Amino acid sequence: MERAKTYERRIGLLLRAGVAVSSVLMAAGLLLATFQSAQPAVDYNPTLRELLIGLTSGQTNESTALLLMFAGLVVLMLTPFLRVLAALFAFLAEKNWRFVGVAAVVFCILVGQLIYSLQ
Amino acid sequence: MSLESFLLLLTGGVVAGTIGTLLGIGGGLFLVPFLVLVAGVPVHQAIATSIVAVIATSSTGASVYLERGLVNMRFGMLLEVATVIGAIAGGLTANVLSGPTLTKIFATVMMVTALLMLRRSANNKHGDAPETNGAFASEFNDDASGSVVRYSVKNIPGTMAISLLAGNLSGLLGIGGGAFKVPAMHLLSGMPMKAAAATSNFMIGVTAAASAFIYFSHGHLNAVLASAAVLGVLGGSFLGTRISRRIHGKTLAWIFVGVLFLISAQMFFR
Repeated sequence: MERAKTYERRIGLLLRAGVAVSSVLMAAGLLLATFQSAQPAVDYNPTLRELLIGLTSGQTNESTALLLMFAGLVVLMLTPFLRVLAALFAFLAEKNWRFVGVAAVVFCILVGQLIYSLQ
Repeated sequence: MSLESFLLLLTGGVVAGTIGTLLGIGGGLFLVPFLVLVAGVPVHQAIATSIVAVIATSSTGASVYLERGLVNMRFGMLLEVATVIGAIAGGLTANVLSGPTLTKIFATVMMVTALLMLRRSANNKHGDAPETNGAFASEFNDDASGSVVRYSVKNIPGTMAISLLAGNLSGLLGIGGGAFKVPAMHLLSGMPMKAAAATSNFMIGVTAAASAFIYFSHGHLNAVLASAAVLGVLGGSFLGTRISRRIHGKTLAWIFVGVLFLISAQMFFR
Protein backbone atom coordinates (compact mmCIF):
# COMPACT_ATOMS: atom_id res chain seq x y z
CA MET A 1 0.00 0.00 0.00
CA GLU A 2 2.80 2.44 0.97
CA ARG A 3 4.73 1.60 -2.21
CA ALA A 4 1.62 2.31 -4.31
CA LYS A 5 1.19 5.66 -2.54
CA THR A 6 4.82 6.55 -3.36
CA TYR A 7 4.19 5.91 -7.06
CA GLU A 8 0.99 7.92 -6.94
CA ARG A 9 2.87 10.85 -5.40
CA ARG A 10 5.51 10.59 -8.14
CA ILE A 11 2.81 10.65 -10.82
CA GLY A 12 1.38 13.71 -9.06
CA LEU A 13 4.79 15.38 -9.26
CA LEU A 14 5.02 14.56 -12.97
CA LEU A 15 1.63 16.21 -13.57
CA ARG A 16 2.73 19.23 -11.55
CA ALA A 17 5.94 19.51 -13.58
CA GLY A 18 3.96 19.35 -16.85
CA VAL A 19 1.62 22.09 -15.66
CA ALA A 20 4.53 24.25 -14.42
CA VAL A 21 6.53 24.00 -17.66
CA SER A 22 3.47 24.70 -19.82
CA SER A 23 2.43 27.68 -17.62
CA VAL A 24 5.90 29.24 -17.87
CA LEU A 25 5.95 28.83 -21.67
CA MET A 26 2.44 30.27 -22.12
CA ALA A 27 3.10 33.19 -19.76
CA ALA A 28 6.44 33.92 -21.50
CA GLY A 29 4.70 33.89 -24.90
CA LEU A 30 1.95 36.23 -23.70
CA LEU A 31 4.50 38.62 -22.15
CA LEU A 32 6.63 38.62 -25.29
CA ALA A 33 3.55 39.29 -27.47
CA THR A 34 2.67 42.24 -25.21
CA PHE A 35 6.08 43.90 -25.36
CA GLN A 36 7.28 43.16 -28.89
CA SER A 37 6.72 45.85 -31.50
CA ALA A 38 5.58 43.60 -34.39
CA GLN A 39 2.34 41.80 -33.51
CA PRO A 40 2.12 38.13 -34.49
CA ALA A 41 -0.55 36.92 -36.91
CA VAL A 42 -3.32 35.54 -34.66
CA ASP A 43 -4.40 32.94 -37.22
CA TYR A 44 -0.91 31.40 -37.32
CA ASN A 45 -1.19 27.63 -36.72
CA PRO A 46 2.09 25.71 -36.90
CA THR A 47 2.31 21.95 -37.32
CA LEU A 48 4.23 20.00 -34.66
CA ARG A 49 7.24 19.89 -37.02
CA GLU A 50 7.14 23.67 -37.63
CA LEU A 51 6.83 24.19 -33.89
CA LEU A 52 9.93 22.11 -33.17
CA ILE A 53 11.96 23.75 -35.96
CA GLY A 54 10.87 27.23 -34.89
CA LEU A 55 11.76 26.65 -31.24
CA THR A 56 15.12 25.00 -31.88
CA SER A 57 16.32 27.38 -34.63
CA GLY A 58 17.48 29.95 -32.05
CA GLN A 59 16.10 32.78 -34.18
CA THR A 60 13.48 35.17 -32.85
CA ASN A 61 10.87 36.96 -34.94
CA GLU A 62 7.24 38.09 -34.60
CA SER A 63 6.10 34.44 -34.46
CA THR A 64 8.31 33.51 -31.46
CA ALA A 65 5.67 34.61 -28.94
CA LEU A 66 3.06 32.38 -30.61
CA LEU A 67 5.52 29.49 -30.84
CA LEU A 68 6.16 29.75 -27.09
CA MET A 69 2.41 29.72 -26.38
CA PHE A 70 1.86 26.73 -28.68
CA ALA A 71 4.81 24.96 -27.03
CA GLY A 72 3.14 25.49 -23.63
CA LEU A 73 -0.17 24.16 -24.94
CA VAL A 74 1.47 21.11 -26.53
CA VAL A 75 3.38 20.33 -23.29
CA LEU A 76 0.04 20.51 -21.46
CA MET A 77 -1.63 18.28 -24.06
CA LEU A 78 1.18 15.70 -23.76
CA THR A 79 1.06 15.62 -19.94
CA PRO A 80 -1.83 13.07 -19.72
CA PHE A 81 0.05 10.79 -22.16
CA LEU A 82 3.09 10.91 -19.86
CA ARG A 83 0.81 10.29 -16.89
CA VAL A 84 -0.53 7.06 -18.44
CA LEU A 85 3.03 6.00 -19.34
CA ALA A 86 4.21 6.73 -15.78
CA ALA A 87 1.30 4.67 -14.40
CA LEU A 88 2.31 1.83 -16.74
CA PHE A 89 5.86 1.88 -15.33
CA ALA A 90 4.55 2.11 -11.77
CA PHE A 91 2.41 -1.01 -12.29
CA LEU A 92 5.42 -2.73 -13.92
CA ALA A 93 7.54 -1.94 -10.85
CA GLU A 94 4.77 -3.35 -8.64
CA LYS A 95 4.57 -6.42 -10.95
CA ASN A 96 0.83 -5.80 -11.08
CA TRP A 97 0.40 -7.45 -14.49
CA ARG A 98 -3.35 -6.97 -14.76
CA PHE A 99 -2.93 -3.20 -14.48
CA VAL A 100 0.15 -3.21 -16.70
CA GLY A 101 -2.27 -4.57 -19.33
CA VAL A 102 -4.93 -1.96 -18.50
CA ALA A 103 -2.45 0.94 -18.72
CA ALA A 104 -0.93 -0.49 -21.90
CA VAL A 105 -4.36 -0.69 -23.57
CA VAL A 106 -5.15 2.95 -22.63
CA PHE A 107 -1.71 4.13 -23.80
CA CYS A 108 -1.93 2.27 -27.13
CA ILE A 109 -5.43 3.67 -27.84
CA LEU A 110 -4.23 7.21 -27.01
CA VAL A 111 -1.11 6.96 -29.18
CA GLY A 112 -3.18 5.42 -31.99
CA GLN A 113 -5.64 8.32 -31.80
CA LEU A 114 -2.76 10.82 -31.70
CA ILE A 115 -1.11 9.35 -34.80
CA TYR A 116 -4.48 9.23 -36.62
CA SER A 117 -5.27 12.85 -35.70
CA LEU A 118 -1.88 14.15 -36.87
CA GLN A 119 -2.06 12.44 -40.27
CA MET B 1 -5.17 41.19 -27.42
CA SER B 2 -6.38 44.07 -25.27
CA LEU B 3 -5.97 44.03 -21.49
CA GLU B 4 -9.79 43.90 -21.11
CA SER B 5 -10.04 40.78 -23.31
CA PHE B 6 -7.15 39.16 -21.46
CA LEU B 7 -8.73 39.82 -18.07
CA LEU B 8 -12.11 38.58 -19.33
CA LEU B 9 -10.60 35.30 -20.55
CA LEU B 10 -8.57 34.93 -17.38
CA THR B 11 -11.67 35.45 -15.22
CA GLY B 12 -13.73 32.96 -17.25
CA GLY B 13 -10.88 30.49 -16.92
CA VAL B 14 -10.64 30.94 -13.15
CA VAL B 15 -14.39 30.28 -12.68
CA ALA B 16 -14.38 27.22 -15.01
CA GLY B 17 -11.20 25.85 -13.40
CA THR B 18 -12.51 26.25 -9.85
CA ILE B 19 -15.87 24.56 -10.47
CA GLY B 20 -14.39 21.94 -12.80
CA THR B 21 -11.70 20.85 -10.33
CA LEU B 22 -14.00 20.95 -7.33
CA LEU B 23 -16.66 18.75 -8.96
CA GLY B 24 -14.45 16.63 -11.24
CA ILE B 25 -16.27 17.66 -14.42
CA GLY B 26 -13.52 19.61 -16.18
CA GLY B 27 -15.18 22.97 -16.65
CA GLY B 28 -15.73 22.80 -20.40
CA LEU B 29 -19.50 23.02 -19.93
CA PHE B 30 -19.01 26.51 -18.46
CA LEU B 31 -16.12 27.67 -20.58
CA VAL B 32 -17.66 27.00 -24.02
CA PRO B 33 -20.82 29.14 -23.45
CA PHE B 34 -18.69 31.80 -21.74
CA LEU B 35 -16.23 32.03 -24.63
CA VAL B 36 -18.96 32.03 -27.29
CA LEU B 37 -21.58 34.23 -25.63
CA VAL B 38 -19.50 36.59 -23.49
CA ALA B 39 -16.11 36.76 -25.24
CA GLY B 40 -17.49 36.36 -28.80
CA VAL B 41 -15.11 33.52 -29.73
CA PRO B 42 -15.99 31.27 -32.73
CA VAL B 43 -17.48 27.92 -31.58
CA HIS B 44 -14.67 25.68 -32.92
CA GLN B 45 -12.02 27.78 -31.19
CA ALA B 46 -14.10 27.82 -28.00
CA ILE B 47 -14.39 24.00 -28.01
CA ALA B 48 -10.64 23.61 -28.74
CA THR B 49 -9.81 25.99 -25.86
CA SER B 50 -12.25 24.20 -23.58
CA ILE B 51 -10.68 20.80 -24.32
CA VAL B 52 -7.19 22.10 -23.45
CA ALA B 53 -8.74 23.70 -20.35
CA VAL B 54 -10.07 20.27 -19.30
CA ILE B 55 -6.50 18.92 -19.49
CA ALA B 56 -5.31 21.84 -17.35
CA THR B 57 -8.06 21.22 -14.78
CA SER B 58 -7.39 17.49 -14.75
CA SER B 59 -3.60 17.78 -14.46
CA THR B 60 -3.64 20.41 -11.72
CA GLY B 61 -6.44 18.75 -9.76
CA ALA B 62 -5.06 15.22 -10.09
CA SER B 63 -1.55 16.30 -9.02
CA VAL B 64 -2.95 17.61 -5.72
CA TYR B 65 -5.58 14.89 -5.23
CA LEU B 66 -3.03 12.11 -5.85
CA GLU B 67 -0.85 13.54 -3.12
CA ARG B 68 -3.84 13.68 -0.73
CA GLY B 69 -4.73 10.06 -1.54
CA LEU B 70 -8.17 11.05 -2.87
CA VAL B 71 -7.71 9.45 -6.32
CA ASN B 72 -8.46 5.74 -6.68
CA MET B 73 -5.88 5.32 -9.43
CA ARG B 74 -6.49 1.65 -10.22
CA PHE B 75 -10.24 2.00 -10.51
CA GLY B 76 -9.74 5.20 -12.54
CA MET B 77 -7.40 3.42 -14.96
CA LEU B 78 -9.92 0.60 -15.40
CA LEU B 79 -12.71 3.07 -16.17
CA GLU B 80 -10.40 4.89 -18.61
CA VAL B 81 -10.37 1.79 -20.83
CA ALA B 82 -14.17 2.00 -21.11
CA THR B 83 -14.08 5.78 -21.63
CA VAL B 84 -11.55 5.76 -24.47
CA ILE B 85 -13.33 2.86 -26.20
CA GLY B 86 -16.58 4.81 -25.85
CA ALA B 87 -14.95 7.89 -27.37
CA ILE B 88 -13.74 5.89 -30.36
CA ALA B 89 -17.19 4.37 -30.81
CA GLY B 90 -18.63 7.89 -31.00
CA GLY B 91 -18.64 7.69 -34.77
CA LEU B 92 -20.88 4.61 -34.65
CA THR B 93 -23.44 6.31 -32.41
CA ALA B 94 -23.42 9.38 -34.64
CA ASN B 95 -24.65 7.20 -37.51
CA VAL B 96 -27.63 6.00 -35.47
CA LEU B 97 -28.80 9.16 -33.66
CA SER B 98 -28.87 12.80 -34.74
CA GLY B 99 -27.16 15.57 -32.76
CA PRO B 100 -30.38 17.16 -31.40
CA THR B 101 -31.78 13.74 -30.35
CA LEU B 102 -28.53 12.95 -28.53
CA THR B 103 -28.59 16.30 -26.77
CA LYS B 104 -32.15 15.65 -25.55
CA ILE B 105 -31.21 12.14 -24.34
CA PHE B 106 -28.17 13.61 -22.60
CA ALA B 107 -30.26 16.29 -20.91
CA THR B 108 -32.90 13.77 -19.79
CA VAL B 109 -30.33 11.34 -18.37
CA MET B 110 -28.64 14.22 -16.57
CA MET B 111 -31.94 15.40 -15.07
CA VAL B 112 -32.71 11.86 -13.82
CA THR B 113 -29.16 11.60 -12.42
CA ALA B 114 -29.62 14.92 -10.61
CA LEU B 115 -32.90 13.67 -9.09
CA LEU B 116 -31.25 10.40 -7.97
CA MET B 117 -28.39 12.33 -6.40
CA LEU B 118 -30.87 14.68 -4.77
CA ARG B 119 -32.73 11.73 -3.22
CA ARG B 120 -29.47 10.16 -2.05
CA SER B 121 -28.26 13.45 -0.53
CA ALA B 122 -31.60 14.09 1.17
CA ASN B 123 -31.69 10.57 2.68
CA ASN B 124 -28.04 10.63 3.65
CA LYS B 125 -28.20 12.95 6.63
CA HIS B 126 -24.83 11.94 8.06
CA GLY B 127 -22.72 12.22 4.90
CA ASP B 128 -21.04 9.33 3.07
CA ALA B 129 -21.30 5.93 4.72
CA PRO B 130 -19.32 3.83 2.24
CA GLU B 131 -19.06 0.03 2.24
CA THR B 132 -15.64 -1.49 2.76
CA ASN B 133 -16.17 -5.06 1.56
CA GLY B 134 -15.95 -4.47 -2.20
CA ALA B 135 -13.02 -4.17 -4.62
CA PHE B 136 -10.38 -1.40 -5.01
CA ALA B 137 -10.37 -0.64 -1.27
CA SER B 138 -8.86 2.73 -0.42
CA GLU B 139 -8.82 5.41 2.24
CA PHE B 140 -8.15 9.12 2.56
CA ASN B 141 -7.91 11.78 5.25
CA ASP B 142 -10.95 14.03 5.04
CA ASP B 143 -9.74 17.38 6.37
CA ALA B 144 -13.28 18.82 6.45
CA SER B 145 -14.60 16.14 8.83
CA GLY B 146 -11.22 15.43 10.44
CA SER B 147 -11.59 11.68 9.93
CA VAL B 148 -10.11 8.87 7.84
CA VAL B 149 -12.66 7.70 5.24
CA ARG B 150 -12.36 4.04 4.23
CA TYR B 151 -14.29 2.72 1.26
CA SER B 152 -14.35 0.13 -1.50
CA VAL B 153 -15.99 -0.11 -4.90
CA LYS B 154 -19.02 -2.16 -5.98
CA ASN B 155 -21.04 -2.55 -9.23
CA ILE B 156 -17.90 -2.33 -11.41
CA PRO B 157 -19.56 -3.54 -14.68
CA GLY B 158 -22.37 -0.97 -14.34
CA THR B 159 -19.94 1.87 -13.68
CA MET B 160 -17.80 0.76 -16.65
CA ALA B 161 -20.89 0.76 -18.88
CA ILE B 162 -21.67 4.35 -17.84
CA SER B 163 -18.04 5.35 -18.41
CA LEU B 164 -18.31 3.89 -21.91
CA LEU B 165 -21.41 6.03 -22.49
CA ALA B 166 -19.63 9.07 -21.00
CA GLY B 167 -16.69 8.64 -23.38
CA ASN B 168 -19.12 8.19 -26.25
CA LEU B 169 -20.99 11.41 -25.47
CA SER B 170 -17.77 13.32 -24.84
CA GLY B 171 -16.63 12.60 -28.36
CA LEU B 172 -20.04 13.28 -29.92
CA LEU B 173 -21.15 16.44 -28.14
CA GLY B 174 -17.80 17.94 -27.17
CA ILE B 175 -18.68 17.76 -23.49
CA GLY B 176 -16.75 16.34 -20.58
CA GLY B 177 -17.82 12.90 -19.42
CA GLY B 178 -17.25 13.85 -15.77
CA ALA B 179 -20.91 14.86 -15.36
CA PHE B 180 -21.76 11.16 -15.83
CA LYS B 181 -18.70 9.56 -14.28
CA VAL B 182 -18.93 11.29 -10.91
CA PRO B 183 -22.58 10.27 -10.24
CA ALA B 184 -21.85 6.74 -11.53
CA MET B 185 -18.90 6.35 -9.16
CA HIS B 186 -20.85 7.90 -6.27
CA LEU B 187 -24.28 6.31 -6.74
CA LEU B 188 -23.43 2.98 -8.40
CA SER B 189 -19.95 2.20 -7.09
CA GLY B 190 -20.55 3.69 -3.65
CA MET B 191 -17.47 5.90 -3.66
CA PRO B 192 -17.48 8.91 -1.33
CA MET B 193 -18.28 12.11 -3.25
CA LYS B 194 -14.80 13.60 -2.77
CA ALA B 195 -13.05 10.46 -4.02
CA ALA B 196 -15.44 10.22 -7.00
CA ALA B 197 -14.77 13.85 -8.00
CA ALA B 198 -11.00 13.43 -7.57
CA THR B 199 -10.92 10.17 -9.56
CA SER B 200 -13.00 11.74 -12.34
CA ASN B 201 -10.56 14.67 -12.37
CA PHE B 202 -7.72 12.20 -12.82
CA MET B 203 -9.48 10.53 -15.77
CA ILE B 204 -10.89 13.38 -17.84
CA GLY B 205 -7.51 14.75 -18.94
CA VAL B 206 -6.74 11.52 -20.79
CA THR B 207 -9.97 11.59 -22.81
CA ALA B 208 -9.46 15.27 -23.61
CA ALA B 209 -5.78 14.86 -24.62
CA ALA B 210 -6.60 12.73 -27.66
CA SER B 211 -9.30 15.18 -28.87
CA ALA B 212 -7.03 18.19 -28.23
CA PHE B 213 -4.51 17.06 -30.83
CA ILE B 214 -7.31 16.67 -33.39
CA TYR B 215 -8.32 20.32 -32.88
CA PHE B 216 -4.65 21.39 -32.90
CA SER B 217 -3.94 19.61 -36.19
CA HIS B 218 -7.08 21.14 -37.75
CA GLY B 219 -5.84 24.63 -36.84
CA HIS B 220 -8.70 25.42 -34.40
CA LEU B 221 -6.41 26.18 -31.47
CA ASN B 222 -5.88 29.93 -31.10
CA ALA B 223 -2.67 30.20 -29.04
CA VAL B 224 -3.32 33.67 -27.55
CA LEU B 225 -6.91 32.90 -26.60
CA ALA B 226 -6.14 29.41 -25.25
CA SER B 227 -3.07 30.56 -23.29
CA ALA B 228 -4.98 33.36 -21.55
CA ALA B 229 -7.95 31.11 -20.71
CA VAL B 230 -5.79 28.15 -19.67
CA LEU B 231 -3.67 30.31 -17.33
CA GLY B 232 -6.93 31.37 -15.68
CA VAL B 233 -8.11 27.76 -15.53
CA LEU B 234 -4.84 26.70 -13.87
CA GLY B 235 -5.29 29.38 -11.20
CA GLY B 236 -8.94 28.36 -10.75
CA SER B 237 -8.01 24.67 -10.50
CA PHE B 238 -5.55 25.44 -7.73
CA LEU B 239 -8.32 27.36 -5.95
CA GLY B 240 -10.71 24.41 -6.49
CA THR B 241 -8.31 22.00 -4.78
CA ARG B 242 -8.06 24.39 -1.80
CA ILE B 243 -11.86 24.65 -1.49
CA SER B 244 -12.16 20.87 -1.82
CA ARG B 245 -10.04 20.46 1.31
CA ARG B 246 -12.49 22.47 3.43
CA ILE B 247 -15.81 21.39 1.94
CA HIS B 248 -17.86 18.44 3.24
CA GLY B 249 -18.71 15.59 0.86
CA LYS B 250 -22.43 16.20 1.41
CA THR B 251 -22.12 19.90 0.45
CA LEU B 252 -20.14 18.89 -2.61
CA ALA B 253 -22.97 16.52 -3.61
CA TRP B 254 -25.55 19.33 -3.24
CA ILE B 255 -23.46 21.68 -5.43
CA PHE B 256 -23.09 18.87 -7.97
CA VAL B 257 -26.88 18.37 -8.08
CA GLY B 258 -27.39 22.10 -8.70
CA VAL B 259 -24.83 22.10 -11.51
CA LEU B 260 -26.42 19.00 -13.10
CA PHE B 261 -29.83 20.73 -13.15
CA LEU B 262 -28.27 23.81 -14.74
CA ILE B 263 -26.46 21.81 -17.43
CA SER B 264 -29.58 19.78 -18.13
CA ALA B 265 -31.71 22.93 -18.51
CA GLN B 266 -29.07 24.49 -20.77
CA MET B 267 -29.13 21.36 -22.98
CA PHE B 268 -32.95 21.31 -23.20
CA PHE B 269 -33.14 24.94 -24.30
CA ARG B 270 -30.09 24.89 -26.56
